[in-house]
Amino acid sequence: MILAAGSNPFIQFPGGAKWSIGFLGIFHVAVGSLAIGFAFIVTVLQLVAYFRKDNRYDLLAKRVQLWHVCIYNIGTINAIGLVFALSGLYPQFWSQIFTQFFWTLIVEETLFLMLATTLTFHYFFWEDMWGHKKLHIFLGALMTPFFFLQFYIINGMGAYMLTPAFAEGKASLWSGTAGILGWDKLAFYNPSFLMLTLHRTAANFAYAGFVVAGVCGCLLYLAKRDKIKAWYETGGRLTFKVAFISFLTLPIIGFFYSWVLKYHAKEAYDNLMIGRGDVVAGGIDWWWTKQLVVAAMIGIGLVFGRKSAKAKREFAMPMAAVYVVSLLYLMFYVGMATQMTWMFLWGSLAAAIIAGLWASHLVNRHGGSGRAVFVTMGILSFLTVCLGGYVREASRPRFVNPSGDAEPGQNRIQHYSSVYHPAERPESIDMRMVRGEPPHAAEVPGRSPLLEIGPETAADLVSSRCISCHTLERIYSYKGTDWDRVVGRMEAYGTRMTNEEAGEIVEYLEGGELQRNTSIDVNDGPTSSE
Amino acid sequence: MGGLKGASWTMDLPVIETPVFPRWVWMEEITYSHIPIATLVTAYMLLAPLFEYIGYRRHDPRWERLSKGLIWFAMIVFSPGAALGTGIPMFIIGTYPEFWSRWANLFFWPLIAQFIFFLVEVFFLFFLYYLTWDAWQHRKRLHIAMGVCAAISGYLVQIVWDSLGAYMLTPGNVALPGVDQPVAWSLPAMLNPSFPFLLFHRTFGNFSYVMLLTGGVLALRYMGQKRKNPDSENTQYFHWAAGTCFIIGFFAFFAQPVIGWFYARVIQREAPVAFMAIMGGHSSPYFIAKMIAILILLVVGGTFVVKRYGSKTVVWAATAGLLVVLLVVMMHPPLMWLGESAAAWRVVSTAVVLAIIGWLWRSRGRGDPNRTGWQWAMFIVGLAGFFAFAMGGFSREHIKSPDTVYGEIVKPEWTDYEADRYLVYQKWLEPQELLPIDLDRQRPESWRSEVGQARRDGLELTDEEAERIITYLEEHH
Repeated sequence: MILAAGSNPFIQFPGGAKWSIGFLGIFHVAVGSLAIGFAFIVTVLQLVAYFRKDNRYDLLAKRVQLWHVCIYNIGTINAIGLVFALSGLYPQFWSQIFTQFFWTLIVEETLFLMLATTLTFHYFFWEDMWGHKKLHIFLGALMTPFFFLQFYIINGMGAYMLTPAFAEGKASLWSGTAGILGWDKLAFYNPSFLMLTLHRTAANFAYAGFVVAGVCGCLLYLAKRDKIKAWYETGGRLTFKVAFISFLTLPIIGFFYSWVLKYHAKEAYDNLMIGRGDVVAGGIDWWWTKQLVVAAMIGIGLVFGRKSAKAKREFAMPMAAVYVVSLLYLMFYVGMATQMTWMFLWGSLAAAIIAGLWASHLVNRHGGSGRAVFVTMGILSFLTVCLGGYVREASRPRFVNPSGDAEPGQNRIQHYSSVYHPAERPESIDMRMVRGEPPHAAEVPGRSPLLEIGPETAADLVSSRCISCHTLERIYSYKGTDWDRVVGRMEAYGTRMTNEEAGEIVEYLEGGELQRNTSIDVNDGPTSSE
Repeated sequence: MGGLKGASWTMDLPVIETPVFPRWVWMEEITYSHIPIATLVTAYMLLAPLFEYIGYRRHDPRWERLSKGLIWFAMIVFSPGAALGTGIPMFIIGTYPEFWSRWANLFFWPLIAQFIFFLVEVFFLFFLYYLTWDAWQHRKRLHIAMGVCAAISGYLVQIVWDSLGAYMLTPGNVALPGVDQPVAWSLPAMLNPSFPFLLFHRTFGNFSYVMLLTGGVLALRYMGQKRKNPDSENTQYFHWAAGTCFIIGFFAFFAQPVIGWFYARVIQREAPVAFMAIMGGHSSPYFIAKMIAILILLVVGGTFVVKRYGSKTVVWAATAGLLVVLLVVMMHPPLMWLGESAAAWRVVSTAVVLAIIGWLWRSRGRGDPNRTGWQWAMFIVGLAGFFAFAMGGFSREHIKSPDTVYGEIVKPEWTDYEADRYLVYQKWLEPQELLPIDLDRQRPESWRSEVGQARRDGLELTDEEAERIITYLEEHH
């Protein structure tokens, strides 16, 4: 059965390839992030239990770790599904990514195995290690750095897809280095890597904390004995506190993240902030939706925090800090309103106020218990993770055909129509795959010529040389005209370039090309492919 | 699919080299780490609901304890096994990119189906079988049904992988599509000639080695408990569980020679070069090692079984199993390890099997099978079972060398030696109905004149092929 022919050169997937990858990707992120957060929450609970000598927290930690074991395998299998789906649906992209990130992925896999083993030992030998509590806590705590290393690797790849900077495949050809065979450092340490990592770190802690609190909330509804209720209430409050503190750091990191996008993925930035076509589905802008959910979470968190503090409940939040960060949130919304539309501010304020009032009602209704608030925040945090992941992926310019022209419905590159082919690939690994000329050689669709690598332009030089120390924003915002002196200083700082290259860069910067290139006309169509 | 024979385009992606060891060593290291875990989990999942059901029907809590113990252990190794499994495609994509792209082009939907089965398996195994064990004590049938669902989904995963793995040895008439030919799936490729035989061979192989090894490990635990407290409930349980698992594993083995014989016949027809490689060719040492492990399993394991369960029924069952083994040996093309005489091979193998049968009848009910030495013997038999299983998989992969998919794609690191050896099997031995061992037994004065004479007698060889064959034969035989 051949499902792909000349006019239809892809494996088809019900609902579309984009949908399947999006679903699997978001599902994996939702589960993976939860796993990372769970590991952290378990350690926090175990430490609280150890220092307070209160076994209830240890029991809750064990319960959370059991959920962790269960969802961990779902995440693992989901990752396998993602690998298979990408292999068949986006074969060129996926193969190409491996030429740049093979070793990173292998390290990630090794960490994955170490994590799986550690997690298994930590949970299944909980009672056996009762007499070695410090060692047991250490074993659990070990998972957080392991997770972070793994997460760090995936973020390098994920961030590269949004801000490839100058490592767009052809970088290896310019460099004259040994070529890229599985590890592309320049691509990995791309401009948005750090911000994405920080943003997702805080988001994961917040998400997992809210989910644990949410599950505690659900169990509170089901619990009948007062002792058990008190246990879930306190556990929920502790994890809610950890989550909300992490949550409050998000706008600060997010601000710098979007700042990086502004200079290194201008089109994606515009798509996010203004919303152009492909981030609007059914008339709803998903990024806005996410911001409204975030505003609602702030409202709920503020009201719940204030009520807890007033009632002097255990694990109440430091309200001064909450107010300060909420003010930052407000400033962020005002800033966004000035750039976009004031509707954004009013909408967010309305969401925060309505959610706050609703939280107040819920707390009163349950006699001061946070059960309903916990459940609500768990659901809302899940929504923000899904929406955040989706908008990051959807903000990239898409819907282009292999020539780079916009074409609705066309969002994939034909199988190996233009493969990544480093010129320095050693001939010794040329593969002898074909035994004689097959009879159908003339029947199969013709193949597009290989990617033509053009000569390195002055813009490429600026990207590759300057960005190794600072972002392009520094160049863009420089008001002076003494580029000759600036470039000379950079050489003195250690930038490696020939005199010819330095001259080319100075000429380019003096011409003001960079500034013109950076301000993208919103009427332009997408120009690059996935 | 017939029109797609052969691949039209090669792929320009770089092949990533690995440090320390060649790629294939790393590949096999990762794969052979994953397979024992996966097979163990699958066998445990298939047997646990059955054991639980037996316990439920007989009101015997030992079966339930054994069943729960199997699942508990499966849960422990599941996560590391799944993590290793995720690494396999990752590693292949980077180190064997063309193979993966073409293979994924042919099997996209089976791979997706496997992913869904895997997800369903986790759902049933973790959430509805393991977590509900105590809570559903009074809903035993429902709980067992959940275990059956987990087992079915786990077995479906194995079915998909066996189908895809069997294709690599016997692709039948389905060619591996090119990198730019996204076929998505092919039923004839999935139902390739050796698929059912590989599936059943591996299923019974799993049951056999997993239960023998489990029996061996439980025997060691029995030994430990006996030392602490000989009359405790734990000691009695481990004594019972070790023997039960061991005897299940021992008798599950006897299906293997029969299925294996049919499997070998299919390989002989569909992948003759691979068949020659294992029957006297370059992979025969692995096959011999496997046979030695099986011999240990039969003699030591059989002796223990007839000592422990001395009833005539058990000894007759073992005798019947051994006679089946003998029948297979008789029908199998003679390996002639004892010289050129097929009769000598048959007489000696008959004598050996009859001697084992005689030994088993003599050992029936004699001695004390609860002694420490026998517990260790059980463990060693378990290891021998595992070794036989591992050797089977290892030789299955190696017999098609230097092909990755038999007759379809060559591994990137192929050597001239491997390619020439393949050519000798294919173009020199097969048309003349010779065996690899004949190259040494019937060594002529001059290979050049021998090949020349064969060509004059009608053997079809190009000049280049003839020269490669002569060079290979002169250098190695």
